[in-house]
Amino acid sequence: MIVGEHKPIEEIIESVKEYNNVLVVGCQTCVAVSLTGGDRAARLMTEALSHAFKDRKTLHIFENSMLERQCEKDWIEPFFDLPEGVEAILSLACGAGVQTMADVFKGIPVLPGLNTTFIGALDAAGVLNEKCVGCGDCLLGLTGGICPIARCAKRLLNGPCGGSSNGKCEISISLGRDVECAWHLIVERLKELDKLDNYEKISETKNWAPGGAGGPRQLVHPGETPF
Amino acid sequence: MAFFKVNENCNGCLACVQNCPAGALNYFDQEDSRKILHNMSLCARCGHCWRVCPQDAIEFKVLLTGRFDLVTTLDLVHCKVCGEPIYTASLGATVSNNTQTIEPLCPDHKGSEPVNVWKKLAPKRTSQPKESSNPERVPIGDDV
Repeated sequence: MIVGEHKPIEEIIESVKEYNNVLVVGCQTCVAVSLTGGDRAARLMTEALSHAFKDRKTLHIFENSMLERQCEKDWIEPFFDLPEGVEAILSLACGAGVQTMADVFKGIPVLPGLNTTFIGALDAAGVLNEKCVGCGDCLLGLTGGICPIARCAKRLLNGPCGGSSNGKCEISISLGRDVECAWHLIVERLKELDKLDNYEKISETKNWAPGGAGGPRQLVHPGETPF
Repeated sequence: MAFFKVNENCNGCLACVQNCPAGALNYFDQEDSRKILHNMSLCARCGHCWRVCPQDAIEFKVLLTGRFDLVTTLDLVHCKVCGEPIYTASLGATVSNNTQTIEPLCPDHKGSEPVNVWKKLAPKRTSQPKESSNPERVPIGDDV
């Protein structure tokens, strides 16, 4: 899922301070699961902002409102009642959600409350790890289901490098936490799968165009095939 | 109450059933009637059925604003000083088994000493001090 982190509260306060009536809008899908954009996060953000502006002469009204997904344009208008007098919207959605809201409510500034960080997986309660960068040309079939692009600091296609030690990446030292060497994991997994011959296949230079280097990507379904 | 509501515009064309990406919609024809089924456990709430329905027959807002269901009911333990509900009897039993017997006291009265609790429970006396000399301690007697 898409993972987002809260922007520093000081940055949010700075971005909303010029508006008297701000609507905090959560998103109930990806970022709700990463515990930063759901209903609870929207309520906490509203409380924090109400507290931050309580001594100001200007009246700040922060109201909660929920959307199942802020990234679906045709869904927003019919199911979303914008309260009267709202001067700005603080969106607790990923970047796609913020842009969709801005597209729908063109006359109202839509401000981001989150920093969209990565596509990740929930490995334990409250622990999300990056697992995919959306490179557009998935090679997980060759690497035992472990992505060397998302999980190797150098994005090596033919690894590991010399910085792998006891299964850990050398960036563990600078990050202050253990980071698994993706290529160590790949080799171990390929051994388990009895597919070590995959490791002998040298990957050629990757085409990054499907990964976004060729401009904004688009997916158009030609039509639905009934089941 | 069903979370998935279809209004009288539905003409049974099955566009929703055929296009549901989660397989949460199904149908069967029985004698003279066609029945359309929805499985909330499978539903991804993607809204695709609502988008493709040519009849505007799917009341998707009902699904988005569904009510809460009662899932279980448990006995409560109340604070023995003020009567505020604090935890369930079941939780109290679990914690007591794992550690030690816990006093049924709310956060406000947890810091008070047993004698102070007793004073609260006992009939009020006019000789009780008005304020506690120790600010760390919970006020007792008439000030509680």
